[in-house]
Amino acid sequence: MSRNKSKPVRIESLLAAVLNVGTWLASVLIGAGLVLSLFNERMPFRTGPQVVNIGIGLFVLLPILRVILMLTIFVRERTYQFAAAAVLVLLTILAGVAIGILYK
Amino acid sequence: MNSGTQLWLFAMSVGASALGGMLGMASGIFIVPILTIFGHIDIRSAIGASIVSVIACSCSSAAPFLKARLTNVRLAIVLETATTAGALSGVLLAGAIPRSYLFLIFGVILLLSAHQMLAKRHDPALTSTSLRPAVGIWRLDSSYPDRALGRDIAYRVERLQIGMLLMYFAGLISALLGIGSGVLKVPAMDTALRLPIKVSSATSNFMICVTAAASAGAYLVRGYIVAPIAGPVALGSVVGAILGARFLLSFSNNRIRLLFAATLGVLAVGMFLAAFGTGLYRGTA
Repeated sequence: MSRNKSKPVRIESLLAAVLNVGTWLASVLIGAGLVLSLFNERMPFRTGPQVVNIGIGLFVLLPILRVILMLTIFVRERTYQFAAAAVLVLLTILAGVAIGILYK
Repeated sequence: MNSGTQLWLFAMSVGASALGGMLGMASGIFIVPILTIFGHIDIRSAIGASIVSVIACSCSSAAPFLKARLTNVRLAIVLETATTAGALSGVLLAGAIPRSYLFLIFGVILLLSAHQMLAKRHDPALTSTSLRPAVGIWRLDSSYPDRALGRDIAYRVERLQIGMLLMYFAGLISALLGIGSGVLKVPAMDTALRLPIKVSSATSNFMICVTAAASAGAYLVRGYIVAPIAGPVALGSVVGAILGARFLLSFSNNRIRLLFAATLGVLAVGMFLAAFGTGLYRGTA
């Protein structure tokens, strides 16, 4: 049970950092976009909602980034069974998008 | 959508997420009923907004659990193959299911959640007696640091196949209704995998964002994630989750659990009424 304790801690702090930064960035973008849409309701171009959309897009991308990060870590650790699971998860997420496009 | 509505959406999400967070629940289960019953928002847009807030909550609350080494990252990726497969089925079903059925299924899930809120949850690790070895190539057994005892507690992951099957259905319901579906993950974690509660909460929270991403992509390209609704709801949920975590209540607080169960019950009635097209609901059915 005590085998290789330093490695998991490194994975976990790396994942924590990525998720933290991503959440902050996406939240700030959404917040800024909402504030912008309060002010430019009368403007011809709609910057506000577009910035909100970028923030939402980042939130949707964040878990995908997290899986890609885990995949690279598992490959480096040579724990290929978990790397394979990560690849499967990524393919499934992509298939979800494909289904969304094909069957509206 | 004017700024007043967006402010209402934001405030509602802060409230729902903070209250949910106090009991360690995801806010998604409150958001869709409130948006549809009180906000008269189309249920598919409500689900789209909710799925984004589910991702946001999961991502924003994962870090402390990871740093405390409570999350079993390897188990998470293995179970995520099942939850995302379920989400994929959910996405396929969601396109085919009529809106009234979505209300009906949501009502049933609300009732199940109310029941679960009232039932006492035992820590399976304390009653675990089986010493069967872990399954095949998956070295999933691990340990977590227990602060109260001041040492690492080793635990075993049991009955992976049954756990995976339950996780598949959790993913399906999550994608169909835009919720984290904790109501289905708790039995999977407790009854099948028999994880210590702390590990199970941390790991299931960690998995939610990836499960939700599998369906959020589809909702995004189908145009059900509407920025003026999903934006304030996601931001409000993150703020609420941070507030809720500060005031985390103990699970044994019976009066509050009763209040929550009652609220879930009332929302379930609202969803059933909407499903049968009577009374409260006036959106597109």
